[in-house]
Amino acid sequence: MMLANYIGAIALIVIGFYAMAAKHDIIKIVIGMGLTDYGINLMIVSVGFNEGGTAPIYTFGELVSGMYFVDPVPQALTLTSIVIGACVTAMALALCVRIYNEYGTLDSREIRRLHG
Amino acid sequence: MTYDVYMHFPVIAIMTFFVGAFIVTLCGSKEKIRNVVAGLAVLIPLTLLALLIKPVMVDGEIIVYWMGNWEPVEGYAIGIAIEVDALSLFFGLLVAIAVALSGFYSFQYIRQDDARGSYFTLYLMLSGGVMGIVLSGDLFNIYVMLEVMTFAAVGLTAFRTWNPNAREAAFKYLTVGSVGSTCALLGIALVYAQCHTLNLAQISAILPDNMTPTMVLAFALLFAGFGCKSFMFPFHPLAADAHGAAPSSVSVLISGVFTKTGVYGIIRVCYFLFRTMGNEAVQVLLIVIGCISMFVCVTMALNQHDFKRLLAFHSISQIGYILTSLGLCTALGVAGGLYHAINHTLFKGLLFLTAGSVLYATGTTYLEKLGGLARKMPKTTILFLVGAFSISGIPPFNGFYSKWMIYQATFEKSAETGNIFYALVTVVCVVTSVMTLASFVKVGHSVFFGQLRPELEGAKDPPLGMRVPMWIMAALCAFSGLFPNIMLDYVIVPAVNAVYNVIPYIDTAMGADYAATHLTSYMPLMNGQLSVIGAWSPLSWLLLFAIALAAVLLVSLLGRSNRSVTCVEDSKHAVFFGGEQAEYSHAAGGDLFWGFKHNLRHYLGYMSRVHTGVTNDYMVWALTALAVIIAYCFAFI
Repeated sequence: MMLANYIGAIALIVIGFYAMAAKHDIIKIVIGMGLTDYGINLMIVSVGFNEGGTAPIYTFGELVSGMYFVDPVPQALTLTSIVIGACVTAMALALCVRIYNEYGTLDSREIRRLHG
Repeated sequence: MTYDVYMHFPVIAIMTFFVGAFIVTLCGSKEKIRNVVAGLAVLIPLTLLALLIKPVMVDGEIIVYWMGNWEPVEGYAIGIAIEVDALSLFFGLLVAIAVALSGFYSFQYIRQDDARGSYFTLYLMLSGGVMGIVLSGDLFNIYVMLEVMTFAAVGLTAFRTWNPNAREAAFKYLTVGSVGSTCALLGIALVYAQCHTLNLAQISAILPDNMTPTMVLAFALLFAGFGCKSFMFPFHPLAADAHGAAPSSVSVLISGVFTKTGVYGIIRVCYFLFRTMGNEAVQVLLIVIGCISMFVCVTMALNQHDFKRLLAFHSISQIGYILTSLGLCTALGVAGGLYHAINHTLFKGLLFLTAGSVLYATGTTYLEKLGGLARKMPKTTILFLVGAFSISGIPPFNGFYSKWMIYQATFEKSAETGNIFYALVTVVCVVTSVMTLASFVKVGHSVFFGQLRPELEGAKDPPLGMRVPMWIMAALCAFSGLFPNIMLDYVIVPAVNAVYNVIPYIDTAMGADYAATHLTSYMPLMNGQLSVIGAWSPLSWLLLFAIALAAVLLVSLLGRSNRSVTCVEDSKHAVFFGGEQAEYSHAAGGDLFWGFKHNLRHYLGYMSRVHTGVTNDYMVWALTALAVIIAYCFAFI
């Protein structure tokens, strides 16, 4: 079961990288960045998963012997990483809007005033 | 008792930046209050870190601060630590100095800009992020701070509304830079999966004995991630774009401080976490990347027509020196790399600030549009010359000493191992240094000397508020060149010792004997003895320099009588170069090394064509580099 998660995570990352390297529409490049973020989030949260474990939140008296829970640290990391990913996407899209206003195009091949 | 007081300094230093960023925003458009707040926010961390020099650098204490007092329980560090050893403090001081000087410079400098309110918010966020990275003892915290820093840097790159290229540079920086962040985060996730901890000290104890294939992948990812942040080859085009578009005071941070976090990360990953540096394959990887960065970027710099873009390529070229030197894995190599790191921050900061002054005075940094500014801006010219001499490694300035250490370290390594490869590295270093000098001759010629362009008649030196930070940087350049022994004793050697011996770093955080029980196969990576030989006496070089200067002055004064004859403005007095178009035949930057560039035209033309400026191409480079590094690590570790 976890293998599927890892494969899915790597697949998302690779698709994201592919989009960033091969797509000339800068909005698609931003989507690629988003995909890699999701892949990594999936990866981190899978790392901390214990099969059969419960949520790592207990009130008093609930804890009985034999119970175990999933690792809470990766979940905290994933939350942070999701927030950061959302910020990256928002910022990149804001830049896309400005670039479209200034260059009149979203084609990355034409956005190359800085070269050489 | 004193230890208890010192313990809080690092965290206050980081918090001051972030709190300052918040208060600056509240100040709105009240410029006086905002400057006072920003000034305090950059000075307090500098003071705090300077106070730490005594306990950390001299007494060799390591300061650990557990956020919220979450200390390790039963050998597992769950809480977030801030851990300051000599290496962290070394980079912290470097950051604090650059941030403070550049901050004071920008009070005056950003008067030209329209969105002044948000400038200091982003500036302090960037500083806080960098400070957080170098002082943190927690791997995920480093990633978060890396992202904070990247955001602020992207925001500041896109900051100048009147610069038409700024948004493009920021977009490329964000997208291609995200490969680095992605790799770092993935590497951190894998490290966590293996070690179940994020504390640097604990990972350093657990990881080196458990190098599974997953950890090799994690190492490759972290290496590539921090490498991207240090803008090593082939991530260098981002740096060039970003430096050129950002305000000069921010370029100082991006080049002097931002790239150093990448270097710091590489040191932590290679020397501490994985301890793979003993493996010769990793050394060769780092040295090859360093040499390529060095050479490619210096030749790209020769090809540039924009002052700041040229400086940006030089910046990566100097990072190449640092990486090469660190890759040697000898005490002298690490010392040379760290010394060059602090020198690079100082002289490159100075050069970017002079470029900013030129922009402030003339409104352009395009080399072909400038010329003869020495007559109008004599003070800036002197500062530029100090910076240019330092970066080109001309004694007695600081670049000479650190480059000398790097040459010696590479050559010694060659003698030790009997491998001709390392001697070739020395040759590459020297050739790069010569080309650096060549391109600064070109800049000096086309910006400050030669014929004054008529439209620059009104240019004048920047106001005192901008000159003082530059003078301080110039003074520090001269100081670290003239008194290398003081620098070595108080700053470099403690940092090298911290890299050499990681046991105290682990034990201070995790409790005594933690390292001894977990790190069973511990071997020091290098010989801890640092011996600098070579005929180097800075004072005699200074004397030689003074005599040469006096000779030049004498010739200049003797020739003064002839110079009073005023030439009639006539094209027959002009310098003639074939095929020039400009009315004023000032020997432009592109023409000065015409013959040299003609001989190298195939290479330079190819390099120029390859740097297409298309985001996708840079992405392909970045991903290729990532793939190559991963494949290399799997093949040789």
